[in-house]
Amino acid sequence: MTTTLSLEAEVAKLIVEALHLETAPEEIDPEAPLFGEGLGLDSIDALEIALAVSKRYGFQLRSDDERNHRIFASLRALAAHIEKNRTG
Amino acid sequence: MLPLTSRTPEEVIFHRGDVPVTVRRFLAEVASLAARLPEDGPVLNFCADRYLALLSFAAALSRGHVTLLSADRTPQRLADIARLHGARYALSDTEVALPLPVLAPEAEAGAAAPNPAIPAAMVAAIAFTSGSTGEPRPHAKPWGALVAGARAAAERFAVTPGTSIVGTVPAQHMYGFETTLLLPLQGAGAGHAGAVFYPSDVAEALAAVPAPRLLVTTPLQLRALLGTGIALPAVSAIISATAPLADSLAAEAEAAFGAPVLEIYGATEAGSIASRRTLEGEAWSPYPGVAFAIGENRAEVTVPGLPAPVPLSDVLEAAGGDRFRLVGRQGDMVKLAGKRASLAGLGKILSDVEGVREAMFLAPEDLDHNPRARLAAFVVAPGMSATSVVAALRGRVEPAFLPRPVVMLDELPRDEVGKVQHKDLAGLAWRRS
Repeated sequence: MTTTLSLEAEVAKLIVEALHLETAPEEIDPEAPLFGEGLGLDSIDALEIALAVSKRYGFQLRSDDERNHRIFASLRALAAHIEKNRTG
Repeated sequence: MLPLTSRTPEEVIFHRGDVPVTVRRFLAEVASLAARLPEDGPVLNFCADRYLALLSFAAALSRGHVTLLSADRTPQRLADIARLHGARYALSDTEVALPLPVLAPEAEAGAAAPNPAIPAAMVAAIAFTSGSTGEPRPHAKPWGALVAGARAAAERFAVTPGTSIVGTVPAQHMYGFETTLLLPLQGAGAGHAGAVFYPSDVAEALAAVPAPRLLVTTPLQLRALLGTGIALPAVSAIISATAPLADSLAAEAEAAFGAPVLEIYGATEAGSIASRRTLEGEAWSPYPGVAFAIGENRAEVTVPGLPAPVPLSDVLEAAGGDRFRLVGRQGDMVKLAGKRASLAGLGKILSDVEGVREAMFLAPEDLDHNPRARLAAFVVAPGMSATSVVAALRGRVEPAFLPRPVVMLDELPRDEVGKVQHKDLAGLAWRRS
């Protein structure tokens, strides 16, 4: 689906810009975990992404019961979550 | 001897969802969990649910088992702590594969149970700092010190018995442990059990508990709360710790949430030892019973219940009466996300990476006031990329200290006597901001 693909690219760019990452947006593996072994983000980044997402897409991220946030499982999962919840 | 809790039986000590837990019920649940515990401690406690973290701590304490507190739930870190400190079992509500029995604590009320008496000198918990080498360093907490700290905090912040305490800090981080578990256990107020991390979680958690409400948080999370512009239910006060709060952020928070913003100064080694209201000026007031000895380049603090004065890694300056100002940090120590490291120590770890010829770390000037600031690394490593440098460091240093940006250089800029030019490096790292 082209919308999802372009949203994925857009979210990748948002992450790289918000977090000042060394990685280029197109280098982020859409299936790789964003935290820990994948892109290596941490809890400071999670808040930063939550902030960027609320500004850009007009909704709030929230914790699942576990700290193991399913929506941060990968870029693809995050983009899908944004697609479903965006108001802006 | 000091009782497990100073609260009276009918007081509410915690809110689990919409269920208020009275002290009577808590004590019964402690007794029934304590009866299920293995013969010997120490116990590794990494419960995410704040009530289960408290219940587990209290049950272990009543059995004479020392609790090892790890806010870091990565299996590697937990296994290190367990191995180095002889943990016999773990209590957790999340599954982690560890080379020791991991029990899930359950809140089961049995028969009414007494309030156990605990020797004041008994080591109740061990908290850990990591330093730059990553090796966890233990800091023993006698029961008497924890009790004194909680009572001092209740007095300092005038916490009433009916105050609801919502925290965004892990229950096993020293600040979270003291302010969200021990405060209700030995001071006043009722904790909130669930996971609270994102701004929307904070708003929901506050809405779920009765007023007055106390929010226990960090500069980073305050910034996110303000940034998203989320509306919060009325709070009576906001407490922040782990890093000094910028005046501008405190002013914005006071205006947005209509409550005083207070800060705690502390260290894992000493616990919470002073406080201030950010907007009233930069001087800190020691907690009742806490005494600071401030020297030229060295300060130490005497804390009720701790056997010896504790040296601090900050440089302090007397500010009249018993108050003091924070001037900076000893040597090249930096603090990020509530964790400390030495820049030279980090540089050494990076220089030891295969393929790296030379490397150093620098902190941005606003490190202490910008909650999202990161360290920069400067690396001479022909054939390596910034990404591969970060990949090599992962697992060797705390994630918060992973450098951003990583500046790859042919050589480090030096002056005619060979001294590395920090100013030039800083220009390379932070020119964009």
